[in-house]
Amino acid sequence: MNAPAADARVRLSIIGVIVFALFCALFTRLWFLQVASAGDYRSAAISNRVREVQSQAPRGRILDRNGNVLVDNVITNAVTIDRNTDPDDLEVVVDRLSEILEMTPDAIRGRLNDQRISQYAPVPIQTDVSIETITYIEEHSDELPGVDTAALAVRRYPNGTLAAHVLGYVGEISDEELAKRGGDYLLGQTIGKSGTEYAYEDQLRGKPSVERVEIDAHGDVVRVVDRKEAERGHDVVLSLDLGVQQVAEETLADAMTRVRTLQNKDQREKFETFNAPVGSVVVLDADTGGVVAMASSPTFDPNEFVNGIPTTTWEYLNDKENYYPLNNRAAEGLYAPGSVFKIVSGVAGMRAGVVTPYSTVVDEGKIWIADRYFFNAGNVAHGTVDLRQAMVVSSDVYFYSIGYELWRKHRRGEPGGDATQETAREWGFGSPTGIEIGGDPKGRVPDAAWKQAVHDERPDAFPYPDWQPGDSTGLAIGQGDLLVSPLQLACAYAALANGGSVPEPRVGARVVDDEGKVVKNVAPKTKGTIDIPPDQKAQLERGLEGVVADPSGTAAPAFSGFPFNEVRVAGKTGTAQRQGQQNTSLFVGWTESAAGRYVVAVVIEEAGYGASVAAPVARRVMEAVNGLPLTDLRIQASSGND
Amino acid sequence: MAIAGTSVRSRLGDVSMLRFLDLGIIGAVYAICGLGLLMIYSSSRARLEGQGISPLYFVERQVAAMFLGTILMVVLVLVDYRKIRDFSLAGYALSVASLVLVLSPLGDRSKGTQGWFALPMGFQLQPSEFAKVFLIIGLAGFAYQFMGEFDARRLLLVLGIAAVPIGLVLLQPDLGTAMVLGVITLAVVAAAGARVRDLLVIGLIGLVAVVGVVKMGVLAEYQVNRLTSFISPDADVSGAGYNTEQSKTAIGNGGLTGRGLFEGSQTEGAFVPEQHTDFIFTAVGEELGFAGAATLLLLFAFLVWRIWRSAALASDGFGTLVCIGVMAMFVFQIFENVGMTMGIMPVTGIPLPFMSYGGTSIMVSFAAIGLVLNIQMRRFS
Repeated sequence: MNAPAADARVRLSIIGVIVFALFCALFTRLWFLQVASAGDYRSAAISNRVREVQSQAPRGRILDRNGNVLVDNVITNAVTIDRNTDPDDLEVVVDRLSEILEMTPDAIRGRLNDQRISQYAPVPIQTDVSIETITYIEEHSDELPGVDTAALAVRRYPNGTLAAHVLGYVGEISDEELAKRGGDYLLGQTIGKSGTEYAYEDQLRGKPSVERVEIDAHGDVVRVVDRKEAERGHDVVLSLDLGVQQVAEETLADAMTRVRTLQNKDQREKFETFNAPVGSVVVLDADTGGVVAMASSPTFDPNEFVNGIPTTTWEYLNDKENYYPLNNRAAEGLYAPGSVFKIVSGVAGMRAGVVTPYSTVVDEGKIWIADRYFFNAGNVAHGTVDLRQAMVVSSDVYFYSIGYELWRKHRRGEPGGDATQETAREWGFGSPTGIEIGGDPKGRVPDAAWKQAVHDERPDAFPYPDWQPGDSTGLAIGQGDLLVSPLQLACAYAALANGGSVPEPRVGARVVDDEGKVVKNVAPKTKGTIDIPPDQKAQLERGLEGVVADPSGTAAPAFSGFPFNEVRVAGKTGTAQRQGQQNTSLFVGWTESAAGRYVVAVVIEEAGYGASVAAPVARRVMEAVNGLPLTDLRIQASSGND
Repeated sequence: MAIAGTSVRSRLGDVSMLRFLDLGIIGAVYAICGLGLLMIYSSSRARLEGQGISPLYFVERQVAAMFLGTILMVVLVLVDYRKIRDFSLAGYALSVASLVLVLSPLGDRSKGTQGWFALPMGFQLQPSEFAKVFLIIGLAGFAYQFMGEFDARRLLLVLGIAAVPIGLVLLQPDLGTAMVLGVITLAVVAAAGARVRDLLVIGLIGLVAVVGVVKMGVLAEYQVNRLTSFISPDADVSGAGYNTEQSKTAIGNGGLTGRGLFEGSQTEGAFVPEQHTDFIFTAVGEELGFAGAATLLLLFAFLVWRIWRSAALASDGFGTLVCIGVMAMFVFQIFENVGMTMGIMPVTGIPLPFMSYGGTSIMVSFAAIGLVLNIQMRRFS
């Protein structure tokens, strides 16, 4: 073999080795990608193509204690468009649909571009579409590519505004809620915003259907990988009684309307009628704390929120001029309770030893304390009164004297000086009631420490750092800086009615599945207990019974003709003064009969005496809850002094 | 008698030579072609159906190109390669002329490259593809005369011959094909006996030229991005690095045995851009897995080995150099194309021989195989 030929062989061999090396590199890399690290690429490919489409399950219903439907769902027809329709077709479709659905093309495009709706699910363009339109669209499906119809479950409140504050409303989940709820919810989904809808969201919501779809690089759905069917939410049965709720709301509204036509005789400088802008009624089962009725006026219609609340409605509901109809006054409203608080100051006085159940005070209509006179409402003199009589006629002087004695103990640092505050806190005032639907303020039980604190914070607005005699006497008659909610009052009276336990109120009774099987019972809870010696308790109750039944009782006119032999009633009227406003009218009491023990609390702002307005409302509600024939509402225009 | 005998032998010779035909090469080529058609169908049908076109559109056109390629191969097998050698310079000139012509308004532009002639029925002709074969023949036809005696002057002359088409292709600009032409040149002069030192210098110049071209802004922006995204593919996963990322995901998704024909989600979901052309290997990788992809690479390796063997067996220097040129062309295209889909080579638009959809590439590949078969078949004459 000659030299050039040998050289050529060597060169060919070298080239062959290089080529061999290159192929080895390819094989190695291929092995690395497909065998050694296949798992990583496998999951990358899966996440590349599988998307989850969730659709919410129909929410569970909300029922009253007798199984009446308070909230359910209706199936409405919706028209949807598939976003992945050919863009040219889509233009035509939008124009045609805008005529069929009587929407502007821009409105339709707005829905199509709504990022809250999953990209892989059809976009609902209009809900509540008439069956004629649905039929038309289905018949003309050839001319409407990408357009489809679907049945959607939509929340419905068949009784309109009834128990709106208890039931609450639903709406689209907000960014904050989304952040709080974590990955469980998706943008654009419905969530309970208030009331039972909010408190029992987890039970009502059910489990959404999850469809996993495979998509291609253009986002077109290639096929459905799998589908988990939705599970309807559980039903929530409330302790609410539809009938009692209806009576409570009607009577409250009726009373407010009528009192607005009456003259406020406390205003002597000019003629004015009562404003009565806001009122509430609470009915509690005294033994369980179950809410039997809860009315708050003004109110709203939760149906308005279902498909997104119109801006004008939302603005109306949040306007001060309209007294914020969304607020649940029964739980959230805070008031000076006036004389209905006297059960607390009476017990406190006996506990501190400044009065006994039978000790008396001479009520001359006024009392000199420290540096000035304190007057009864209307300056009426009640003569010699003991605890019972002081309750019946609502003698302020009796309680002023308790307040003053307690103040003196307080100043001397003797035990019992803060008996009213301590008793009030034991009865549940000054802390949230614990009701599950929220809107549950603490209220305020003022004491020396509180006074010092607010003075330190704003000396200009609160010039006196010390606990004054007037603070103590004001507290004794439920005035001054005391703030309580109607629900707190109801709970306190429930404790008196049931023998000593302050209940934690509940609107829910149990959660049941769609076959009616109980999933969860809402157990009654006790917030605290109160302990009153029997003789004191008996005397107190005799006083409260006298308020309605004794001829001299403040609520006697309101309760005239009431069948006390069938249903025992005890209660207290209250008339709270408020700076720059007309008096708050209050009545809190309870009934006891074969039907059970029920507390009724009525609070109406700027409506005059408790005896005139709140007490007649309470009577009618008490009739309803005990199954008595309903009497006509009798606003006591000229009645009583409390 | 002797004269008559010679004439009979020479006439029959063309036919009797066919017994030396390398059936292994032919078998490998058609096996690869068949796999290619299957993968083109799999990777393009979803896209085509989406546009309302027959899912067999690309397959039918590819079959047509293979048919034409086969005719071209048969012609190139039957004509003695030494006759072809005599026309090597003329072919080279023709090729250069077509490369000039394509830059004129007669040529068509596509994806930023002026490199096509439009033919009737929507077919296109890519003169730069044909330039590969003409350059192989041209270089071999010139260099075989100095086998083993490559001095600097001859080397420069050879490089000059190569520089003309390379320069014209770069003007389109088509860096990928220019690189193929460069590698062919390097391989031919290496086999022809250029000194190692010179080869290193040429290689270095080639590398500098590639970098220079990238930096000088000759290429379209997307071409530069694709090339440079190779350096840091994660920098822009949805942009220029998208190709590589999706392509690696597709291949990795295949695993050992693949997701099954028409079952690859990356492939059927059209996640890999240009999948039926430059990224056809990803379809094999995903749907047929390591088993399928390795089989394809083995087929290519077998084909390359047979071509290398033809180079070694060739009866003269011209034959050896042509075979080496063809081998260099295939090896570089395979390595660059498969390497780019697996993320070890930068992304350039180089087709995978016999696999990628593209008529000109198919015909040129068949023509090159025709030359190799021709040379090997006539190794004893």
